[in-house]
Amino acid sequence: MKLCDICGKKEATLVVRQLDKDGKATDLNVCAECAKKRGLTGVEESPPESGAVITELKSKVDDSDAKVVCMRCGMSFAEFKRVGKLGCADCYQTFAEKLRPIIRRLHGSVQHIGKTANQGRKRAQERLEIQRLRAELEKAIKQEDYEKAAALRDRLKRREDETGS
Amino acid sequence: MKLAPEKIGAWLSGSGPDSDVVISTRVRFARNLVDVPFVVRMKQFEQELVLETVRWALADTGYLKQGQFFEEEMLVEPDGLYFVERHLASPDLITCKNRKGLFVSEDETVSLMVNEEDHIRFQVLASGFDFATAFGKAAELDEKLEGQLAYAFSPEFGFLTACPTNVGTALRVSVFLHLPGLVLTREIEKVLRGAYALGLLVRGVYGEGSETRGNLFQVSNRQTLGQSEAEIVEVVSGVCRQIIDYEHKARQFLMHNLRVEVEDKVFRSLGLLRGARIISTEEATNLLATVRFGVALGIINELKLAEVSQLLILIRPANLQVILGEKLTGAEQEERRATFIREKLVR
Repeated sequence: MKLCDICGKKEATLVVRQLDKDGKATDLNVCAECAKKRGLTGVEESPPESGAVITELKSKVDDSDAKVVCMRCGMSFAEFKRVGKLGCADCYQTFAEKLRPIIRRLHGSVQHIGKTANQGRKRAQERLEIQRLRAELEKAIKQEDYEKAAALRDRLKRREDETGS
Repeated sequence: MKLAPEKIGAWLSGSGPDSDVVISTRVRFARNLVDVPFVVRMKQFEQELVLETVRWALADTGYLKQGQFFEEEMLVEPDGLYFVERHLASPDLITCKNRKGLFVSEDETVSLMVNEEDHIRFQVLASGFDFATAFGKAAELDEKLEGQLAYAFSPEFGFLTACPTNVGTALRVSVFLHLPGLVLTREIEKVLRGAYALGLLVRGVYGEGSETRGNLFQVSNRQTLGQSEAEIVEVVSGVCRQIIDYEHKARQFLMHNLRVEVEDKVFRSLGLLRGARIISTEEATNLLATVRFGVALGIINELKLAEVSQLLILIRPANLQVILGEKLTGAEQEERRATFIREKLVR
């Protein structure tokens, strides 16, 4: 247990980092009471609760947010702020500028460290394509567009043979 | 419905390290497929597409054979709550209207949700304080699934998730702690505030919001980006190690200075559970937790930690009804719960 550097009595709950003119940092361990007395709260305090950040986000939707729209899924930044969820992977690219400050507040960082994904595995792509073709085929049959359905069936058959699915 | 209601997760075996204080360790990853919109923007055929693709991947990796894949009516209220009470699914999975799926391994240590907030969310639970097992198994599943699926990823933001609160590693690790010693010695608030100041999230396990029941707490990481998976595990595990040590000290203090009072509390709880004819989930949870404390301290020798920890789940409304094989009204539940507990605690 670290004692407060100011009163020397209570348990320190906060680390205050002070930078001098040369940018040299000194860390000060302070208890909650002394921090309050000296107006030190809010300095190097724990990051905000993610729920609070999202709630704040929802309350601050403005006109300019409606103009930024993801080309792929059609989500606007205003809509993201309202629902707190993004529409697709491309949204991160489209809204990158506006997302960075939010992500920094949530995580204290904007750079991923850690495991990297193995992108675009061939087999995964093939499977998705087959699933897509199946869905399209079903739709064509439902709409009684048999010509299209026949073409889709042949394409599907070819793809399935190729991939051995 | 193919459930084994009275058989419950291996993660509740009470056999892992520090089981007297830690009920379980949980590791969860969120993943999304690169070519499909996220859940809020998915059309129904895309939801089905993801469901099929994930099921396919689970089959190819051999996981599907080690458990069951649940869909449709199994995942809506009231039956779906069975999985929520067992910590195998989130309440959101059950309430959302998506085409969704849930894979649960035979021993209930591995579960995977499809089309909840993200396309895929999977977790591994281990008994006691055991990150090595939980993280090891979760990383292995991640690796195998990735051999079959292409995930949405950016070098800057990491694994892309529907909500930016999960982006990066998309890893949430948590420890499910039983801290009656710290509650009784009134040290709990200080400890939990300390954990929060270190960037962790502390919640009560049962009950809405921060309300806690049975002195059961869940400590997890708040941030998922900017730290590696190993660092996240290290931080949570380091803070929990300290909390566990504090709890042990508090228990020693209590046994040394207030032994009779603690014994009184424990045996009164056991007496109430053995005598009650009507009991609510809340009251039963509190009393069972106190009995668990008594077992951990060696005050009660005729019961095992695992039995008591498992009862905490078996007595919850959906589980109780599945076990008894009947739909019961609130009042009926309270009566049958009391009988069920009495039968289990008779020695």
